[in-house]
Amino acid sequence: MTLQSQAGQPAALAALLPADPHEGRPVVMDEQAKREVRRGVLAGVCVPGYIVPFGSREMPVARGWGSGGLQVTLAIGGPEDSVKVIDQGDEEGVNAVNLRRLIVGTLGSRATADTADASIVQSRHRVPEEYLGEDQVLVLQVPQSEPLRQVEKSVYECKRRHAEGDYAKMWVALYERLALTGVMGTGTGHPVMVHGRYLMAPSPIPRWDIPRLHRSDHLTILCHGRDKKVYAVPPHTAVDPLTFDDVPFEVEHIEGVACAKCGTAESFMVETRTGEFICSDVQFCLKVRAGLADLDRHDRLVPRHYYPDPARRVRSFVPAVGTRRVPGPAGITAPGEDWSLKVEDLGKVYPGSRGSSEVVAAREVSFDVAPAEALGVIGESGSGKSTVMRCIIGDELGATGAVRIGAVEEGRANLLELSPPARRRLRTHVLSVVHQDPALGLDLGVSAGGNIADALIAAGWRSYHDIRRRAAELLDRVEVPLGRMDDVVGQFSGGMRQRVQIAKALATDPQVLLLDEPTTGLDASVAAGVLDLLRELLAERELAVVVVSHDFSVIDALTDRAVVMRQGRIVEAGLTDQLFADPHHPYTQQLVAAARS
Amino acid sequence: MTDEPTRPILTVRGLSKSFTLHAIDRSVVSLRSVSLTLNRGEHLALAGASGAGKSSLLRCIHRNYLPDAGSVVLHDGDREIDLTTLGDRSMARLRGRDFGYVSQFLKAPPRQGPLRLVTAAALRRGLDAAAAGDAAAESLRALGVEERLWEVDCSVLSGGERQRVNLAAGTVSPPRLLLLDEPVSALDPANRALALAVIEDLRHRDVSVLAIYHDMGIIRRVASRVLLMEDGAITAEGTVDEVLGAGHRALGEVYA
Repeated sequence: MTLQSQAGQPAALAALLPADPHEGRPVVMDEQAKREVRRGVLAGVCVPGYIVPFGSREMPVARGWGSGGLQVTLAIGGPEDSVKVIDQGDEEGVNAVNLRRLIVGTLGSRATADTADASIVQSRHRVPEEYLGEDQVLVLQVPQSEPLRQVEKSVYECKRRHAEGDYAKMWVALYERLALTGVMGTGTGHPVMVHGRYLMAPSPIPRWDIPRLHRSDHLTILCHGRDKKVYAVPPHTAVDPLTFDDVPFEVEHIEGVACAKCGTAESFMVETRTGEFICSDVQFCLKVRAGLADLDRHDRLVPRHYYPDPARRVRSFVPAVGTRRVPGPAGITAPGEDWSLKVEDLGKVYPGSRGSSEVVAAREVSFDVAPAEALGVIGESGSGKSTVMRCIIGDELGATGAVRIGAVEEGRANLLELSPPARRRLRTHVLSVVHQDPALGLDLGVSAGGNIADALIAAGWRSYHDIRRRAAELLDRVEVPLGRMDDVVGQFSGGMRQRVQIAKALATDPQVLLLDEPTTGLDASVAAGVLDLLRELLAERELAVVVVSHDFSVIDALTDRAVVMRQGRIVEAGLTDQLFADPHHPYTQQLVAAARS
Repeated sequence: MTDEPTRPILTVRGLSKSFTLHAIDRSVVSLRSVSLTLNRGEHLALAGASGAGKSSLLRCIHRNYLPDAGSVVLHDGDREIDLTTLGDRSMARLRGRDFGYVSQFLKAPPRQGPLRLVTAAALRRGLDAAAAGDAAAESLRALGVEERLWEVDCSVLSGGERQRVNLAAGTVSPPRLLLLDEPVSALDPANRALALAVIEDLRHRDVSVLAIYHDMGIIRRVASRVLLMEDGAITAEGTVDEVLGAGHRALGEVYA
């Protein structure tokens, strides 16, 4: 469509245009866009804390100026509203002043500075000091809507973790902070659990403000415009800061400090250049000075139960480790059966596609393993042994046959028929894996202790001190010096990483342990040490173990029985020493002959 | 030699074994329908030239080799357990507790000292941790393995030391049935006397033994009966004198 001059416009279009373009209010958001935002907000209110994607529009403000908050306010506001806009507690910031002018000018609503008078409070980085009631809405501008982003780069993984309520990584981040600094200090935006279900980034409000979202009378809407995300905390909804059972959450509070202007000692304060402290919420401060503030009401909002208590803080400590060796739990077999793990007729075919033919990675693979028994799976690369391992772990979809574990529904459940989340949950208690590559089993960016904490937290441990003690015990057992407990695993040598991975795998006392080429890729002397350690650990526990390896010496050292795999099938099974001394199948004979050379 | 009615602990019937070597497409016959009975508390010796199949017989009984045909029955009270068809898992468990095998050469896991090795064997036989350590120490002392060697990696021990460690692991808290493959072949006279004392003592502990020896004097001293093997088959059976006296000159020829 070509633009035409004003005079030459068709009559229909001319009728749509206002007679005077300068008359009336500017339209920053059309009704369609507002409806889209409101739909998102409604969804957010229905599922508290859940991050709702919505069709965010471009706003005539710079990035980071709060286009998300602006869209919400414009979408839910009208001429009858009174709007308060603050930036870090201050009405007079450039950001606040300009947004206020834009909002008031667009909605035709009234601007107010008084929190008690506002029907909508749009804020950046603060919840007002004063009480907000049922008929008030708090709109928070959000610079980062995904609370897991700092610990999880993958968007897909973030979503999966929200869906499954799997927030162990966030806890590990808290653990790490505690281990390194002794305090929970996450600065602003401490992650919170909303309604006991969703982890939420409360926008960078100070910790002081977080209790104000908990079971509050007002509705809070949080919106990130650039990220196109909106979420909400409906009135009277539980908002709990993430913290360990034995480490209290703390708000910012310094005993004996009072506002230099209004004299109140119990508000969130900022330090001036001259070293004085003043109220962050300017309007509240003014009201206190004028004697207009409802101090009784404010007093009830003061989060005294979260005031710092140095006596309850975590001291930087490395727990003393005794020689006490706690034996693992007794092995669980299926009732009336011998086995803890049973694989029946396992099959896996990778379908052919253009350029590649169908590959049978596993066919009719059957074996079972009893508690305190180790079964070896030997074969060359490509023999299907890793496929079998992945099918047991649950990393491989579309496998046929059955995998059963005695500790899971008394062995009746076929693990292959469980949903992926259910299978992942098994790995927190029942089934552990030690991978060839420690990077698969460990987070190399996290400390040795933190990696073990990860397994323990996933299994439901919530006591920082218990986690720390258990991690120290395990690391001591696998001969990782306790002085390195808080070092990032990425700085460890290969052998040390493998030891940490083994400790992590044993952390929750699983029933079944899968070792996938546990010493492959390590130097001979290091591999020998890891092998010796594994042998000792297996002897101490009643684990059902499957060892996958191409290396006869590993199988020989760790197992009593073994199966030989070739082209996806088990070609021979027997006692490990018998397989080596008297191999029957031509392929086994070849393998044995090769190992002897 | 026992007065009470003899009860078998192990019955081997028609045991045959051949090896098929696929790489060179050849088959080697090792055992030809071997039958024998080992009575409770008895010490039965196997004799014969090298390559006669003595070690293969022990390994087939212990199932390091899978026999092609025949049966190996372990009598456990009134229960009869056929070791050739027993499941691998049950076999592995049985081996640890009830059924020992001392191979000709020590096969020690790498980087393990004699004490840990023998302690591990005692643990497998059901002793608790404290008792196992004590039993292991006692067993090593009885065989003259010096204490300074107890923590030393087995692979650096001398041949004779290794053989004694092996025997210590086999006889610590001894199982009911023990197979010994030339247990004293590498020992000097003094240590041989110690080892034979330990082996003789097994009889007083109600251990049934099937053992290979290459020394007529030892057979006379420790064994109640002897089986002569030739070319994978048993060709004579009886007391040492019976086997010699019955005109089986082969035994005399072998161990002359």
